[in-house]
Amino acid sequence: MRIIIAGAGDVGFHLAKLLAIEEHDINIIDLDSSKLQYISNHLDVNTIKGSSTSYGILEEAKISKADLLIAVTESESTNISTAIIGKNLGAKKTIARISNTEFLHKKDILNLKSIGIDELISPESLAAKEIKKLLKETALTDTFEFEKGILSLVGVTIDEDSALLNQSLADTAHLNPDRNFNTVAILRGNETIIPHGTNKFMLNDHAYFITQPDGLERVMNLSGKIRTPVKNVMILGGSKIGIKTAMQLSNKYKIKLIEQDKEKCFELADQLPDTLIINGDGRDVELLQEEGIRDMDAFIAVTGNSETNIISSLVAKNHNVKKTIALVENIDYIHLSQNIGVDTMINKKLIAASFIFRHIRKGEVLNLIGIHGVDGELVEFEVKPNSKILDVEIKDLNFPKSAIIGGVIRNNQGITVRGNFRFQEKDRVVVLSKPECIRTVEGFFK
Amino acid sequence: MRFNYQVIVNIIGLLLMLNGVFMLLCIPFSMYFGEGDLMAINWSGLITICAGAILWFVTKDLSNKELKKKDGYLIVTLGWVSMSCFGTLPYILSGAIPNFTDAFFETISGYTTTGASILTDIESVHKGILFWRSLTQWIGGMGIIVLAVAILPILGIGGMQLFVAESPGISPDKLQPRIKETAKRLWLIYVMLTGVETTLLWIGGMTFFDALNHGLTTMATGGFSTKNASAAHFSPFIQYVMILFMFLAGTNFTMTYFGLHGQFKKVIRNEEFRFYLGTCVLLTAITTVAIYFASGTGFEQSFRNGLFQVVSVVTTTGFVSADYTQWSSFITLLFFIMLFIGASAGSTSGGVKIVRHVILLKNSILELKRQLHPSAIIPVRFNKTAVPKDITFNILAFIMIYISIFSIGSIVMASLGVDLETAMGSVATSLGNVGPGIGSVGPVDNFANLPVPGKWFLAFLMLLGRLELFTVLMLLTPYFWRKL
Repeated sequence: MRIIIAGAGDVGFHLAKLLAIEEHDINIIDLDSSKLQYISNHLDVNTIKGSSTSYGILEEAKISKADLLIAVTESESTNISTAIIGKNLGAKKTIARISNTEFLHKKDILNLKSIGIDELISPESLAAKEIKKLLKETALTDTFEFEKGILSLVGVTIDEDSALLNQSLADTAHLNPDRNFNTVAILRGNETIIPHGTNKFMLNDHAYFITQPDGLERVMNLSGKIRTPVKNVMILGGSKIGIKTAMQLSNKYKIKLIEQDKEKCFELADQLPDTLIINGDGRDVELLQEEGIRDMDAFIAVTGNSETNIISSLVAKNHNVKKTIALVENIDYIHLSQNIGVDTMINKKLIAASFIFRHIRKGEVLNLIGIHGVDGELVEFEVKPNSKILDVEIKDLNFPKSAIIGGVIRNNQGITVRGNFRFQEKDRVVVLSKPECIRTVEGFFK
Repeated sequence: MRFNYQVIVNIIGLLLMLNGVFMLLCIPFSMYFGEGDLMAINWSGLITICAGAILWFVTKDLSNKELKKKDGYLIVTLGWVSMSCFGTLPYILSGAIPNFTDAFFETISGYTTTGASILTDIESVHKGILFWRSLTQWIGGMGIIVLAVAILPILGIGGMQLFVAESPGISPDKLQPRIKETAKRLWLIYVMLTGVETTLLWIGGMTFFDALNHGLTTMATGGFSTKNASAAHFSPFIQYVMILFMFLAGTNFTMTYFGLHGQFKKVIRNEEFRFYLGTCVLLTAITTVAIYFASGTGFEQSFRNGLFQVVSVVTTTGFVSADYTQWSSFITLLFFIMLFIGASAGSTSGGVKIVRHVILLKNSILELKRQLHPSAIIPVRFNKTAVPKDITFNILAFIMIYISIFSIGSIVMASLGVDLETAMGSVATSLGNVGPGIGSVGPVDNFANLPVPGKWFLAFLMLLGRLELFTVLMLLTPYFWRKL
């Protein structure tokens, strides 16, 4: 595919990184030549310096032959104009990043498609959705359900209480007599390990499992986690994400939102009638204690300042808050999260980049899910009548080492598969694969 | 920063295997002419492939595929050195050049497309070996790394780092967003032009073997011939064909790509191409007149010799249609200076390259204007865009280092007991990857009689010149090896 990305910021860079591995022809446009220099040193893409709303620049990027134009600059209006101009110049599909979510909600009335914008994404509302998802299960660092939970992905931190600590996968096989979950990935520091029999669980690892519904309880037990429902949530920061999150959560949880700016607090109180708005500085530990941080089940720090978010999450963790989520701008911080004790760090730009990536890949696969911090994607394939893997046992497949088959959905039932499993037509297979071998894995199912 | 040695060894293994496959390409010629060099070529190819395969096999489970800039420079330099070592095998095993120093000199002179030879009687060498000699130039011309990037799947993102380290010029143009596609197109043009030239030379009366060899070495701007008399052995038609293709080989391949796509306007508007054409025309006019009056040959022959020699030296090819040191000291000096020009960036030629001269010259002239208007911002313009300052500095450093190496190199050669003209000529021609120099390494002489340390030194200079100084010199600085 020929893809043009306008904007070489974090979203643009990560998108280009994900797409370049897949061997698409990518042109990146930005005004800042130092950003472009960085990209061309790190990625196999073409860079063009200039404004993405300029005819000449878009022409240089061969807009008339482009299959996809993605406008992800910092500025909403630039993105919208880029998409409109690009569409008129012949781009087959356009995606624009926006920050005003009115565009999303009033999509039909505004009729953006007719003026040339095929798809809108808002990193803020994606982040809010992500937070909502993470709050479902406090003991888990990440979770995703296939078909309403007949098969699900769960992530847990391996701590001192875990029965799995310092054991290899082969050693722990007896702990899983019913074989109702599979280990699919271990995240250690910033290294993603696709586990095989000899890999060990170490302290502070994030381990990811594919489980059947009855396996979830066992995973929890083995990792020494207790399931508790979330009731009280504290949100720090009345940013766009803070507001979105509060809106989405207010019907389910009791929410306190702390914001520094007094006038903003007033506006927030107006916008969010069900939420208790508190005016104060989130770094003030006394204030947090006064507002009952000990009673909170979850603490979500989404101010504009990454450091404030991380530090206040640590404070919350110290006060026995079960789930802490911090929004960080700096991507390198994400890998720190498990080492310093914040449960999950989210970056809205990464979320946006992988959302667009999944959007592009949809259609070829049934489902594509990113996992926080893990250098890999969870992909769901359907076994076609002439697939290579039909009627072959998994252990004879010669499956790539940096990918692993986690489970299969057959006749609306989740199965965590073993080496002697044979695939049938219409099986839906869940695979965790590192980005570089997604294509190879895809070959098995075609 | 630590080097990713696993990937480095792995890629060098791949390069050697590729190199071995090229050696086996000599087999048909060896068999057809039946001069007894078949076994030598078979063994060379097999040894090289096996050595490469071993290196590749022991490192094939790559845990970390990432290539940093530093790794790229190390791979390219080490790759070229190891290829040159294995490239000597056909010469040594067949007995064509029994001495390792001479064989290494000949090989690296081939890969770097210099074309300086230590062979005194080329025509007596077996055809299979001669073909290998031409092939080394062809491989080195477009660059084996560029070929590896084009055809091997492993060099995805890291490919760019390698590509930059091997390609001549300031910064490589990307014909396509992906480096692999760019490399593929470059090699495709290269192969195509080689094919066209071979056909034309064949039609012009060469044997197929000679035509193919000259096709390979012209497009690489190499200059190895299969005849002792080089291009002078052949008819005027053949010489004109060679002039045309030497000129094309010295043109930026991006321009050739545009030309093939019918975008002639882009080519004509390109400033470097204009200066390249202009330089050739101007120098040809001067030399033609000078030769006409100095030698007393007819006008057509003076023009042809002038044109051929100018294009041959400016593009750093080094074919010889006449001995330019014979006519007059004026012409000799003119050609000596031409050794420093070089053709376009992004071509297969060596030397300083026109673009660097032009930017620096413009910068120097603008400096006068800047003196008059101290507060004015006056950038150098090239191809109608302002050249960033760091590029100007980079070029300044390049030329400064180039001249320093030339001066020091000449002194080194003189200290080895070589006469003045030969010392300067041999260093300039090796560093510029041209081939013939002046003095006793002039167009009709060869490098056989130089002292052994001198040959090693020149071989080093050739590599330095081919990889455009920085890639190799960087390895000699302590910064490169320091972890911090």
